[in-house]
Amino acid sequence: MIILDNVSKTYDYQVALSNISLTVEKGEMAFVTGPSGAGKTTLFKLLYLAEKPDEGTLTIAGFNAADLKDSAIPYLRRNIGVVFQDFKLLNNKTVYDNIALALRIRGIVEREIKERVHSVLKMVNLRHKADSYPLTLSGGEQQRITIARSIVGEPTVMLADEPTGNLDEENEKEIMKIFKHINNKGTTILIATHNRALFENTAKRVFLLEGGRLVKGEEK
Amino acid sequence: MFSLRLALQSIFKEKWMNILSMLSIGVMLFILISVAIVVYNVEMLTAQLPERLTLVVLLKEDVEGEEIKAIQTAIRADQTVKSITFVSKEKALEDLKKVFKKDDFILKGFGENPLFDSFDVRLKSEGVKKDEVKRLIQNIKSIHGVDDVEYGEALMDSIYALKGGLRALGLSIGIIFVCSVTFICYATVKILFYRHKDEIEIYKLLGATRWFVRVPFFMEGSIIGLLGGAIGSGMLLGFYSYFIKKLMVDIPMFTIISIPMQFLYMLPVFGLFLGLGGAVLALGRLKY
Ligand SMILES: Nc1ncnc2c1ncn2[C@@H]1O[C@H](COP(=O)(O)OP(=O)(O)O)[C@@H](O)[C@H]1O
Ligand SMILES: [Mg+2]
Repeated sequence: MIILDNVSKTYDYQVALSNISLTVEKGEMAFVTGPSGAGKTTLFKLLYLAEKPDEGTLTIAGFNAADLKDSAIPYLRRNIGVVFQDFKLLNNKTVYDNIALALRIRGIVEREIKERVHSVLKMVNLRHKADSYPLTLSGGEQQRITIARSIVGEPTVMLADEPTGNLDEENEKEIMKIFKHINNKGTTILIATHNRALFENTAKRVFLLEGGRLVKGEEK
Repeated sequence: MFSLRLALQSIFKEKWMNILSMLSIGVMLFILISVAIVVYNVEMLTAQLPERLTLVVLLKEDVEGEEIKAIQTAIRADQTVKSITFVSKEKALEDLKKVFKKDDFILKGFGENPLFDSFDVRLKSEGVKKDEVKRLIQNIKSIHGVDDVEYGEALMDSIYALKGGLRALGLSIGIIFVCSVTFICYATVKILFYRHKDEIEIYKLLGATRWFVRVPFFMEGSIIGLLGGAIGSGMLLGFYSYFIKKLMVDIPMFTIISIPMQFLYMLPVFGLFLGLGGAVLALGRLKY
């Protein structure tokens, strides 16, 4: 579950979010949309605590994110799978090692890591790319690797920032299929996108941001 | 274990910088340990100094029998005195004759024995301070029947002064080099840390704890320090077997130099701790 209550964030002089209140239910799949610069990425950064809000309270995956102790941040992040807008893959490590990293930092034994990494690679249809390096892969493939890494730790909440950013329709469909599959297993998913096609024909909740304000938080 | 692998990987990736750091640490620790050895040797040699020093207590001419016994008892009572031997003026003359051997005509010129009765006083070796020796001498001088006390005052003073100076010098060099070694480790780890900054950012975003991020760098610092120390030990060993041993053969005086071999093991351990210290300083304030 994700709850924001009156959250505001200003970078130096640039207001990124002002007075945002929204709720995403447990197990729900919802969308955040709006033009570039509307504050979508900032909203996500507040949720995985890369930034602190100036005002307001945030609750995510059972953590009160607004006043969490620094030492608790890693444990919050392990409960959130993030698909970063810029992927954040380690280009000097193989696909396998990139995904395994999310488990290694938790101190899980290599045997179990191997099993789980192969299982998520299968889910995103990239088993044959385990030993490749990220830069040798296409954009859609890198996107799927990032998704695989975000779910390998079995988070309760998933945040996907522009997961279909500049992909063709084929890849787009593929990725939405993966998300639906994950969501069906009970994971709460919040997707930021400026691509209306992703949610136009669904009954999902869509939050529309414009210039840092929540213009619409409708049930469609 | 994953941390150790990360640490080793990162050391190999930047091997030239790391080798350079290790070499400088090795050289510094070698100099440091050499200074320690010099100080150690001087301490060892001078520790026995009071024992080697013999006070000669000269008695007045008219002191005899019972009075001599009383003086002897009084001196022996002092806690710094190890032993006291009476040397009659006849014995003293005999000794002198032995020294001059064939040239004893020099002594014959004196006719009657010109020497005085005396005591040889030996001091305990440990814990006898310069001030206590001075106090002892004052006490003995004040005993009735004692004419004078002779001892190598000037020699002792200068040795003590030298020792004090050497200690201070050793300590300052020690502090400077300990700081330098720590600083090299600090700088090396800091550079390694910045080279991996993006990677560390990703680790943190995936939920790595602060410890998980820092431990590989602590290990790196320790390994660099450890290997630096090992290089220092190697240099010490090489220096010892090629240089000092030769000197010992050529100049007998050098045989009294001792190099405690524990230093060889201590140096890498010492390096390890300095390396760890430098790494802790470098990453101590890692923020989330
Ligand atoms: N680190 C930052 N420092 C200063 N301004 C920022 C920073 N990150 C984002 N912004 C600004 O905040 C606003 C919202 O940005 P962002 O959340 O990235 O929007 P979106 O993801 O919807 O495109 C923009 O005007 C952007 O320029
Ligand atoms: Mg964005």
